[in-house]
Amino acid sequence: MTANPHRPRRAAARRKHHWSLHVGLLAVSFFMLVPFYWVLKTSLTGENIFVYPPKLLPNDPHPFYYVDVWYLIPFARYLANSAIVSALAITANVVFNAMAAYALTKHFRGRGLIITLLLSCMMIPFQTTIVPAYLITGKLGLLNSYLGMALPTFSTIVCIFVYKASFDAVPKSLIDAARIDGLSELQVIMKIMIPLSASAVATNVILSFIWSWNNFMWPLIIVRDPNMQTLPLGLSRFLTYHENTTGALYAFCVMVLLPGILLFLMAQREFIRGLTSGATKG
Amino acid sequence: MQNAPAAAMPAVAGLAHATARPRHGGGLKRRRELILIWVFLLPSLVVFFLYRILPLLWNVMLSFQDFSLFGKTGWIGIQHYRDMLEDEVFWTSLWNTLLYIASAPVGIVLALAIALMVNAEVRGRNVYRTIVFLSYPLMTVAVGIIWRWMYDEKVGLFNYVLRTLGIIDTPLPFLQSFEWALPSILLANVWQILGFYMIILLAGLQNIPQNLYEAASIDGASATQQLFRITLPLLRPSIFLAFVIGVMTSFTSFDLVYVMTQGGPAHSSELLVTYIYKNAFELSKVDYAAALTVVQFLLLVALTWAGNRISGGEAGAVKTE
Amino acid sequence: MTTTWLRLIGHRFVLIPFCLALTAAAWNGYVSLHDGGLVRGVVLGPGGAAVAGATVSMMEKNFTTNSDRGSTRTRADGSFEFTNNRSHNILLRAEVAGVGRSEQITVRLYFRSQNVTLDAPLTIKLDPPRNG
Repeated sequence: MTANPHRPRRAAARRKHHWSLHVGLLAVSFFMLVPFYWVLKTSLTGENIFVYPPKLLPNDPHPFYYVDVWYLIPFARYLANSAIVSALAITANVVFNAMAAYALTKHFRGRGLIITLLLSCMMIPFQTTIVPAYLITGKLGLLNSYLGMALPTFSTIVCIFVYKASFDAVPKSLIDAARIDGLSELQVIMKIMIPLSASAVATNVILSFIWSWNNFMWPLIIVRDPNMQTLPLGLSRFLTYHENTTGALYAFCVMVLLPGILLFLMAQREFIRGLTSGATKG
Repeated sequence: MQNAPAAAMPAVAGLAHATARPRHGGGLKRRRELILIWVFLLPSLVVFFLYRILPLLWNVMLSFQDFSLFGKTGWIGIQHYRDMLEDEVFWTSLWNTLLYIASAPVGIVLALAIALMVNAEVRGRNVYRTIVFLSYPLMTVAVGIIWRWMYDEKVGLFNYVLRTLGIIDTPLPFLQSFEWALPSILLANVWQILGFYMIILLAGLQNIPQNLYEAASIDGASATQQLFRITLPLLRPSIFLAFVIGVMTSFTSFDLVYVMTQGGPAHSSELLVTYIYKNAFELSKVDYAAALTVVQFLLLVALTWAGNRISGGEAGAVKTE
Repeated sequence: MTTTWLRLIGHRFVLIPFCLALTAAAWNGYVSLHDGGLVRGVVLGPGGAAVAGATVSMMEKNFTTNSDRGSTRTRADGSFEFTNNRSHNILLRAEVAGVGRSEQITVRLYFRSQNVTLDAPLTIKLDPPRNG
């Protein structure tokens, strides 16, 4: 490398560049984190509900609003309902999506048609189907049931293509060798494809969990019985009954947000990969 | 082994460039394989048929009917569409939805700035990326409740800051006022979706080969020139994708509006999707709601198609929910 | 083989839920050991002397209503004890009929029926003299 006479100047310029970047990013981080801080503070102190001006720092924090939420509303019930619906959705998702993706790795007449069909179904957001979906679920007799809540989310197209990309990446030689060894189709899937696609499975689990856990509109439409309500419905109902009168509402918010945040922090990579799989071709 | 030319597929997103191979093996083996394939495809296809395709078609049918759950359902032609044209609330919600869509570019520009900052070689960029993306996987109902309260007229954070800075004297009832209800919701939405835009743009940024920038630097191009001549053109697919997602969000943003304003003072923050919900499940006008949904879907398709043309024909539909 | 198992267990998807489950189990264990429903305190008069025979009443508080949960009398040394507290948020007030009553204090607990001994005493304030 020849000595670069411009290097000291450029290095200095880069260092100054770094400072402004950090300032900018810190400002953005502040904007993104303020709502979290605010709700956490109020859930711990109950201030700023009736009193103006609001205090900026927590004064005398206590966890008793969380105790209120746990006991005074059927939080455990809501949690169980959400967990059951999510478990149903995740299991079905992993199984059905993998099956469909495996079928799509093979060649058969109509394959292109099916792929086009799936891609165009991606353009139909759930919100444009609510009226007939409600009627269909009613005809199936699944209104107000766990299965009914989970059924529309039993399969997701994004995840099918994530699996397909993963399956396509398995070397042909491996599969051929397995076939020669006499493994049946199912064994090929269970012993070769799935283990090599662990990251696709993780992505599917996380994405379907987040979507079914946060799902508000569909349970709102089909749930009539207060005992079947999921967490988002419970939260909305609490807001309707108690409005802004207690810090327990914000404790409820924090308790509801924690699983999502925890899962996200644990599984960032898979989450981001699942969401950008549409951005990178195939 | 002979390689037959790849089966011609409708050109969408350049999927698997696989090759079709001639089938050896007996007819029975092939038939069993075919059965397996269709059996494997069946559950997903059933779900999509029941909850995507059939609803789409049924909506169209419902929009021409006078639907009744218990009595007779009759055909009334385009009456619902005529009613729609005279429905004030429909036009308001349509306009609000378009405003919502117009806020997407604002969010994308902000996210682009953040993505460019994060993409630079700063220490702790992963932490910044996590912080910005943290808002996306949250339950929108909870986000709505948090922002609703930050906008509170008496004790909200925004009013406090604005009054302390002296910008306003009396507190602004953000979510109860005609002018500010929708913009307030838009700000909450941008806050939540900024991370998603940023992730998509980051993925696009990281796909741009470094040597392009190096060659440009050697040729003496300034940073601004590099931004506009290299980065932005190569980011077009990602920007288009982010825009499609923004458009989708305006059509699906039910939770936020429901929790924050319920459609706002006198429908000033009513979106098409909330109006459809109200018609179908609060007013029991299921058929009118279906007609509204048809209009909404056509609008969605038209906008996506238009955006596709503008961005240069790169199809990149991604599902967002 | 053991290294594969170790790697599996040490993986964040297994380790974190396991730690959470462990914490939950430990907390439940602690709760079951301390949920006798005992509430103990002491009632003092305005001068700081113990008040015997005062009536202490307990109410259970939820978001919208307070419900009465019984009362007990203080012993000779001013102390009192409830043994049947079922709630996590109670209101206590001491009263000597015709003489005075204390403030209504709120006791918030970490879990239902938590055994608690109050730090601060209930101090009886004399009733203001009646007019006429």
